[in-house]
Amino acid sequence: MLRTLGGSQFRESPAFSGSGFGRGIFFPEPRELMTNLDDYRIREQPYYKAVGTEIALFEAAHQARMPMMLKGPTGCGKTRFIEFMAWRLKKPLVTVACHEDMTASDLVGRFLLDANGTVWHDGPLTNAVRYGAICYLDEIVEARQDTTVVIHPLTDDRRILPLEKKNELVRAHPDFHLVISYNPGYQSVLKDLKESTKQRFGAIDFHYPAADVETEIVAHEAGIPTSAARTLVEIGIRSRNLRGHGLDEGASTRMLIHAGRLVAKDVSLSAACDAALVLPITDDPDMREALKDAIAACI
Amino acid sequence: MTNQTPFADLVESGLVGDPRNGSIWRALRQVFNAHQLADWRADLARLQASGLGPAGLEAYIRATGTLAEKRGPLAALALAPCILDVERHAGRAAAAALSEATAPALRHLGNERDFRDWLDAVAELAAQGPESVAPVLARSDGLLAELGAHGFRAWVLGGLRAGGGDPERRLALFSLSDPRAFDLFEQATGDIGFTDAERALKAYLIALFRQKPFIRAVAGTPGDTLQRRASFERQFVQVPARMRGVATSSVRKVYRAMLAHIGAHLVHSGPRFQVRGLKPMQVALVSLIEDARVEQLAMRELPGLFRLWAPFHTARADGGVTAPSLFARLSRALIDPNYRDDDLWVTKGRQMFFADREAWVDPGISRQIGNLLGNDLGQMRIQFNPRTYRVEPLYRDDNSGLWDTDDAPPQISDEQDVIVETVRIERTQDLDDHDLESSIPDDDVGQATARESRADDGVPVGKYAEYDYLLGRERSEWTTVVEYQPQPVDTTLLDRQVQSYGDVLNRLENLVGAARVSRPARLRARTEGDRLDLDATIEAAIDRRAGLAPSPRVYETTERRNRDLSVLVLLDISESTKDFVKGSSTTILTFERIATALLSQALSDLGDAFAVAAFCSNGRDDVRFYPVKGFNQPYDRDARARLAGLRGGLSTRIGGALRHAGVVVGAQRTHRRLVLVVTDGEPSDIDVADRRYFVEDARKAVQSLAHSAIDVFGIGPDGAGTGYLGRIFGRRNFVVIDQIARLPNKLPLLYMRLTS
Repeated sequence: MLRTLGGSQFRESPAFSGSGFGRGIFFPEPRELMTNLDDYRIREQPYYKAVGTEIALFEAAHQARMPMMLKGPTGCGKTRFIEFMAWRLKKPLVTVACHEDMTASDLVGRFLLDANGTVWHDGPLTNAVRYGAICYLDEIVEARQDTTVVIHPLTDDRRILPLEKKNELVRAHPDFHLVISYNPGYQSVLKDLKESTKQRFGAIDFHYPAADVETEIVAHEAGIPTSAARTLVEIGIRSRNLRGHGLDEGASTRMLIHAGRLVAKDVSLSAACDAALVLPITDDPDMREALKDAIAACI
Repeated sequence: MTNQTPFADLVESGLVGDPRNGSIWRALRQVFNAHQLADWRADLARLQASGLGPAGLEAYIRATGTLAEKRGPLAALALAPCILDVERHAGRAAAAALSEATAPALRHLGNERDFRDWLDAVAELAAQGPESVAPVLARSDGLLAELGAHGFRAWVLGGLRAGGGDPERRLALFSLSDPRAFDLFEQATGDIGFTDAERALKAYLIALFRQKPFIRAVAGTPGDTLQRRASFERQFVQVPARMRGVATSSVRKVYRAMLAHIGAHLVHSGPRFQVRGLKPMQVALVSLIEDARVEQLAMRELPGLFRLWAPFHTARADGGVTAPSLFARLSRALIDPNYRDDDLWVTKGRQMFFADREAWVDPGISRQIGNLLGNDLGQMRIQFNPRTYRVEPLYRDDNSGLWDTDDAPPQISDEQDVIVETVRIERTQDLDDHDLESSIPDDDVGQATARESRADDGVPVGKYAEYDYLLGRERSEWTTVVEYQPQPVDTTLLDRQVQSYGDVLNRLENLVGAARVSRPARLRARTEGDRLDLDATIEAAIDRRAGLAPSPRVYETTERRNRDLSVLVLLDISESTKDFVKGSSTTILTFERIATALLSQALSDLGDAFAVAAFCSNGRDDVRFYPVKGFNQPYDRDARARLAGLRGGLSTRIGGALRHAGVVVGAQRTHRRLVLVVTDGEPSDIDVADRRYFVEDARKAVQSLAHSAIDVFGIGPDGAGTGYLGRIFGRRNFVVIDQIARLPNKLPLLYMRLTS
């Protein structure tokens, strides 16, 4: 069936489908993709509530183009922070969510086939390097260690990216800034950054914000009154007490906001917590029971 | 008159006296058909021949009459065989007692099946614990009322298992003079106990208060009719193991309220109060105010606790003017704002307490208010009896943790206790341990070695359930796994023995070379990949020019194939492994050691994560687990020295060892996890004669490991041909070796086959 189709029809097929970059796609149209990084600029101010001096610190690091590492548990605002900083610094932001099947080619680029033969396609990292963007590699520990070494020449004073297959050396645009996120608690037994990778970065440590700040964030993001947000934050604190005692991670700020959004749509607080906190966070019946009871004690 | 004929001779013979109760005869006549009547007569003759006296026969006739009437002829006819059984094992008195106990028991035995369960339990008891039949039958009515037929049987079987082979111990258990009988009793009732909810409750306490005290469940004592209260002493908390008189659906709620209350104490109660001349009434009142104070503070942060605690406060304003009643009313007044009570004393207490909410942070106000209220009560001449006083409501602790009494506080700080505490082993059991040990004949060197190495170096590492196939369910926390360190010895002999298997070593080396891990493999013609596959690309280009649709599989990628598995080799080192293998001067254990050494060498060459452990057992309280090599330890001289130092002895309680092995290997985060059991014979232990029990338990253990995605594989001889290996490990998960001497050749190759 497929073979009866003419080759020309392939040329009209969409070059990119889904989110994967150049994965499993045949004959993409050679678009001048991403040469203009305007699509990657953040136009509206993202909501971000500072919890410490992280904004000033990051601005200083950005001026020095020092590679930065954002550490902290999931859902505590790392990604929101980098979006906010990109907006504030007026720089495009290229985000790559790392995963365990990711290869170096997924970052750097690869040859694809088109109607006339092979054509090189820059990966997101290469684009950011060429045209000057903040490149944010989210959850870098998820990527295989041999993948992460491609960033090494970019993170010292060389600031270059060799494209071996294309036989090209890309010198980083002055605006290029590499930022990675790293969740130390997350499966740390199996996954950790190489020492040689770690030592190339400055770091900002993120935690769940203090109760008052978190209340403000939850109230703002979910659009609920402060009192309800306060209860949600109390619940979050109780669940975080269970970290390492049956739960890998307590409820994140993001989860509390999810629950808050349900509350804003007139779902009862306990039902919202059930749906947005208890059920997603664990499948262990004992832990679910403990969490539900703890939530009942907070409401 | 003709209808009376079947019994006329009995009456005439004078054996059964005059059947005063005519209804029995009528019932027998009406319910039995001719065959059944003949059977009944035959049974009666047998009982008579067995020497059951006139009183016993009469009791039998009466019992069968009632049975026939209430449960039908078949039930009536089931009685005689059981009486004969009991008579044979436990004597005439017990047999007569069975007839006597039948009629009262029927009240609790709703149908024929229940009745047969009860009879079965009595017969089993007679066979395995004849001395205990009479005491149990004497209490049969009460036991059945509490437990029902199924629970009764569970209790009897539990008692037999717990009593082991010791008649005195059994008798103590079955006559309820041993406190552990109540543990069994409470297990048999099937109610929820603390241990059922323990994990969730501990997590609850951590979530609410970040408190992680040691919590121990304490069983009630026989004859203790009142529900005991929880108690805490700094970080040591005791809770009742069972909640008597609490509906099953509410048990968890009571425990929750209890732990939340203790958590509030742990967070908000300050240093302990000094008793210093306070009267008992004042002590009780200060405690009461303190309870209310910590609860109020806890509810500031956790308002939902009100809904948890308040329903327990059921005191009413129209209660009497006695100390317990007033105390309960004051407790309620201090937590429940909607509660109305016009009593002057209660009102005064309430006003003082709520006068200054900011002062609640200071524990001193409890003492202050408590003292004042105590004085008032004294002036009102209200009597207070500290002996009968119990803190109300049920969820509150006994407050002993609040007071610094003059008595020396119990020393519960040293580490050993903490360890013991965490696996909830009671000292009494430890003592029994030693008793058991001394009852085993000490007739050979191996055993002596095991005994020496025991010398207090065993550390209890876990309590596990055991499955009883007769009951069809598990007894929780039935076995205790105790970890012992193997004594390392010189490895020269073992190394030499291993070297003598040069051919196996060579073959293994080749196999290992072929299976070596993490070789990158090139995967071609993929739809995804990081490079173009040149051949596929050319093919695609040709297709295109020929006007064909080209294949999209034009990429290639590299993948590392990992042998992502962990294996625990579990060696049986029971007494029988000391036997010499037929036709050689080498023991079974030696072959196990050599096989394990060969396998370990191969595994460490391969880089697979592996551990080696051995087990034997000495009753259910001492399932011995010898770690030879842990997953994180290298296979080096030390590990070999420990392997060489394994000595055989004791029995093979494989189920407990398997469950513990499951926990050990379960901690490994690999794709595949495997327990490889090397055994030399059927499982057994000293405290249960029934071999099938251990086979079924092991089978259950294997199944529960399979649930946790742990594969269990067994290898061993099947000398008696009972097929127990297949029964335990499942049809495809075992290998029978005809000669144990072949084990060193078989085991490593078997492993390679299993994991390739």
